[in-house]
Amino acid sequence: MPIPILQTWFAKKHSAAPPIKDRSQLRVGIPKVLNIWSTHQFWVGFLKALGISPENIIFSSDTSEEQGREFGKGRGTVDCCYPVKCMSGHYGELIFGQKKKINILLSPMIHSLPSILHGHVVDTVTCTRVMAGPENIKAGFMKENDVFVENGIVYASPFVSLGDRQLVSGQLYTSLKDILNLDPDETERAVQAGYQALENFTTRARQRSREILAWCAQNQKPCILVLARPYHMDTGIGHEIEAELQAHGYPILWLQYLPGDADLMNWLFAEDMRKGRIKTPFDISDVWTSSYSSNTNEIMWGAKVAARCPWITCVIRLSSYECGMDQPTYTPTQKIVEATGTLFFKFGDLDSTKPAGSIKIRVETIVHYLAKYSGSIIGRKLSWLSADCPLPRTSRERTPTRAMADEARAAEPKQLVVLH
Amino acid sequence: MGQFTQLPSISHYTAYRPRPFTREERDRVTILYGGLTWKHERLMQGALHNLQYNAEPLPNIARDDLDAGKELIDVGACCPTIFTTGSLVNFLKREVTLHGKEEVTNKYVFLTAGACGPCRFGQYHESYAMALDGLGLRDFRLFLLAQDELDQGSNGGGGLDINMPLSLGLIWAILCADLLMDLEYMTRPYEINPGQTERVLKESVEYLYEVFRNRPDHGKKYGALAWHLLSNYFARALREVRKKWDVIEVDRLRVKAKVKVTGEFWLQTHEGEGNYNIKRWLEQEDSEVVPPPVAVWLHYLLHPTIRKLEHRNSKAKHPHAQALALHTLERIYRATYNRLRRALANLPNELPDQEELKRLAEPFYHFELRGGEGHMLIGKALHAYHHKKAHMICELSPYSCMPNTMSIGAMANVIGKYPDLLYAPIEVKGDSEVHALSRCQMILTEAKMRAQAEFEDALNKTGLTAEVIRQYEAQHPKVRSATYRVPHLGYAGTAANYVLHLARSCRLRPELSQDPNDRREGEARTAAYV
Ligand code: SF4
Ligand code: SF4
Repeated sequence: MPIPILQTWFAKKHSAAPPIKDRSQLRVGIPKVLNIWSTHQFWVGFLKALGISPENIIFSSDTSEEQGREFGKGRGTVDCCYPVKCMSGHYGELIFGQKKKINILLSPMIHSLPSILHGHVVDTVTCTRVMAGPENIKAGFMKENDVFVENGIVYASPFVSLGDRQLVSGQLYTSLKDILNLDPDETERAVQAGYQALENFTTRARQRSREILAWCAQNQKPCILVLARPYHMDTGIGHEIEAELQAHGYPILWLQYLPGDADLMNWLFAEDMRKGRIKTPFDISDVWTSSYSSNTNEIMWGAKVAARCPWITCVIRLSSYECGMDQPTYTPTQKIVEATGTLFFKFGDLDSTKPAGSIKIRVETIVHYLAKYSGSIIGRKLSWLSADCPLPRTSRERTPTRAMADEARAAEPKQLVVLH
Repeated sequence: MGQFTQLPSISHYTAYRPRPFTREERDRVTILYGGLTWKHERLMQGALHNLQYNAEPLPNIARDDLDAGKELIDVGACCPTIFTTGSLVNFLKREVTLHGKEEVTNKYVFLTAGACGPCRFGQYHESYAMALDGLGLRDFRLFLLAQDELDQGSNGGGGLDINMPLSLGLIWAILCADLLMDLEYMTRPYEINPGQTERVLKESVEYLYEVFRNRPDHGKKYGALAWHLLSNYFARALREVRKKWDVIEVDRLRVKAKVKVTGEFWLQTHEGEGNYNIKRWLEQEDSEVVPPPVAVWLHYLLHPTIRKLEHRNSKAKHPHAQALALHTLERIYRATYNRLRRALANLPNELPDQEELKRLAEPFYHFELRGGEGHMLIGKALHAYHHKKAHMICELSPYSCMPNTMSIGAMANVIGKYPDLLYAPIEVKGDSEVHALSRCQMILTEAKMRAQAEFEDALNKTGLTAEVIRQYEAQHPKVRSATYRVPHLGYAGTAANYVLHLARSCRLRPELSQDPNDRREGEARTAAYV
C-alpha cells in the first residue's frame, strides 16, 4: 500500500511531458541481515541506478542484544535460529530508530544467490529460513496493527532469485513497480547496475584474499579460513571470533571471498581432476550430492580448498544454534579439512550472547596449535602439490596489514555505502 | 582434531554412492521403504509386488527410533530426519544381529523419496549415509526416488527401474490410500460397534493390495499411462470397497470438534509415536480428525504456476508446449482424484484448489517460498476457516524444522487478522508428549464448544430434536450407514450438517415428535427456516 508521500511524488502530472522520476529524496532502509551480507552491493547498485542517493540508503547496524531489546522486543513470533530471530531488532531500528525517517523498508526474500559454484552444482538456492525470514518477521509488525503504515513506511519485500539473472528484472519490476513507480526498462538497467556493483566488489575482495595468500606463500606464513555463512561476518552473529585470532597476527580469509582464479584452483585440484574425481575445481559432487543450497555448497567447497591450500593451516567453522542447514555438514566438513592435517575448530550453537569466556580459552588453544603445527602443515600440503605454484615468489604483492585483512573480511555494508 | 596420515595424494571424505543393484539381484533383494501410513505402504507394496520386486515397508516408527537416530547423526537434526534415520538404523541392527552384516547388505536396499529442497528433506539421505557409516554398513544400498519424475530410468545397475508402471503404481496406491484414509477418519469417531471401522479398513486395504498386485501390464511407457488414466480398474475396486463400508453403522448425532491436521509433511502424515499418535488422541478426546492426504502434496509438486521456478533451468525446446503439458497434467491429476472419489460416493474430501490456497496465503506467505509445505500451511488453515471445513487447525511442527518455523511465525499475522481462527501449532520433539498434548487440549476445548454451539444452532434453526431424528433414523436406517453422504451445508461439524441435511433434503419435520410442545415450537422455527 503506497504511503501518501509517495503518491504525491509520483502522481501523474497533467502535462504532456513524461513525469521526471526524482527519487533522490526517498529514503530506503535495508535490514542488514542474512544474505544481504553477500548481496548488499547489488542492492546499493540497483537503488543508486534508480536515482536514490547513496546517503539515503540506510542499512541497519550490526546485530546486538541491545538492538533486539530496544527495537525488537515483543515482535518475535517464533523461536528459531538467531540470524532470523534478530531480524525483528533490525526492522525495529529502521522503523523507530532513525532520526530522519525512512520511506521504504526493503527486505528482499532472496530465493537464490549468485555463486562461484554456479553451473557446477545442482542449484544455488538459499536456506528456506533465509528466503522466508521476512514473511516471518513482518508478521511481528503487523499482527496487531500495521506498524509500517502507522509510521508512514512502505514495506517492500520482493521475492527475488538473484542466482537466476534472467528472472530478476521481472521479479523486481512486478513487486516494486507501484512502490517506486518503475518501468521495465529502467528496472532492467538498474538490475544490470546492481550486478555490476556486486561483481566489482566481489572481484576486489577476492583479489585481496589472493594477495593475502600470496603474502603467506612468500613468507611461508599461515592464515586462517572462516567457514561460515555470510552473516557470520555480523559482529553480533559471529561474535568477532575471527577478529580475536587476527589480533594474534593471523590473516583471516572468509570463504565467501576465496580467490577462484583458474591458475590457483587448477593447481590445488589438479590431481583430483586427473584422477577423474571431479570435473572442475568447483565441482563438489565428490563430497556433496545434494548440492542445492548455495551457502552450504560453498561451505563444502571451502572445506575442500582448505584441505588443499598449504597456507590455510586452520579452519574456523562458525555455526548458529539450531541451524538446520549446517547440521548435516558438520561431520563431512570436519573430515574433509582434517584429512590433510589442517586444524579444524568449530564454534557451534552461536546465539545472541557472546560466549566471551569460552572464546578466549579456545582462541588461546587455537593460537597455540597454529604456532606449533603451521610450519609442518604447510610443508606437508606443499609436498602433495606440483611445484608450479601460481603464487609469486618475489615480494611483489602487498604485505597484509590489519586493514587489508579487514577489507577481505568484506567490510560491513554500511561502510561500503560510504565508499560509494 | 584428526590425526594426520601419510597419503599418496589428497584423499578425504567422499559422498555416499551406493554400489549397483543389478537386474540379476532383483529376486534376492528386498526393497525397504517407509515414511507414510501403513495403508499407503501396504498398497505401495502391492504395486511393487506387481512388478516382481520384493518389497517390505519398514516397521512403523517407535519412540526408540528417536534415540537410535540421535546417536548416529550430527546434533540438531529435525525430528523427522532423526525418526526416519533411527527407524532404518533399528531395522538394520536387528537384521544384522540375526543374519550378519554381509547378508543384510546384500539382501536389502532402501528406497526413499528425494527432493531438490532448500530444507533438510533434500538432504535426508546424507543423514542416512552418515548412519550407515556409523553402523559400519557403508556397503548397504540406498536409492533416491525423485518425486517429480515419472520416468527416471534404471537406478545404478538396473535392479530398480523407476519407470512409468512403477511411478504410476505408487501414485495410484497413494491416491487410493488417501481416499480410504478419509473414509476411515470420518467414520471411526461415529461407529456404533467399536472396532468395526478398523476391521473393515484392514479388509479394504488387503482387498486393494490384491488389486494393485494384480494390476494388468500395459507396457513400460505411454500405454501404462493411458491405461491408468482411462481404465475403470481402480474405480471399480473402490466401488467394491464402498460396499464393505456400507455395513458400518454410525451415529452422526455425536457432537465432535472437527480438527484439521496440517503441518510438516512427514509429521502430519505419520500415524504413530513419531507424532505422539496425535490423531488417535484427538479422536479419543471427542473430535473428528480431517487427515492430510498425501495427494495434496503431489498436487502442489506438479502445479505448474506454483512450481514454475522448478522449471527455470529447463532446457525444453518448446517451453510453451511444456507449460501447456504441465497444465494439462495438473488437470488430469485432479480429474483422476475426483473420479476415484466418486467411486466412494464422493465421501472423501475434495482436493483444495491450489490457486485458491495460493491466493489465501498471498498476503502472509509468498507462494514461491520453498521448503516444507511452503505457503500451503497458511493456505490450508485459511481454506478450512473460510469454507468452515473444521473448527480448529492442529499444525504439527517438528522441533528445529526450518520452513515450518517460518510459516508458524507468519501465522501470527493471520491470527491477528482472523482472531477467531482456532489454531494450535504443536511442536513435536518426539519426547515431550505431555506438553504437546496439553497445548492442543486448550484449543480443543474451545473447538468442542463451537461444535456444540453449531449443533444447537442447527437444531434451533430446523426445530428438530434428537428424538425426532432418532425416530427418523429408525425408519430410514440407510442414513446411519457410514457411506451415507452428508453434504457440507455450511457448518464445520458433522452433527450440525447432518441435522440440516435431514431437514433440507430428507424433509424431516419436527411434527414427528411425540411431544406436542416440542412439535409446535419446532414447526414455527422450521417454517421460518425452510
Ligand atoms: S542457514 Fe541456518 S542460521 Fe541461516 S537462516 Fe538457515 S537455519 Fe538459520
Ligand atoms: S520440512 Fe522441516 S522437518 Fe521436514 S525435512 Fe525439512 S526441515 Fe526437516
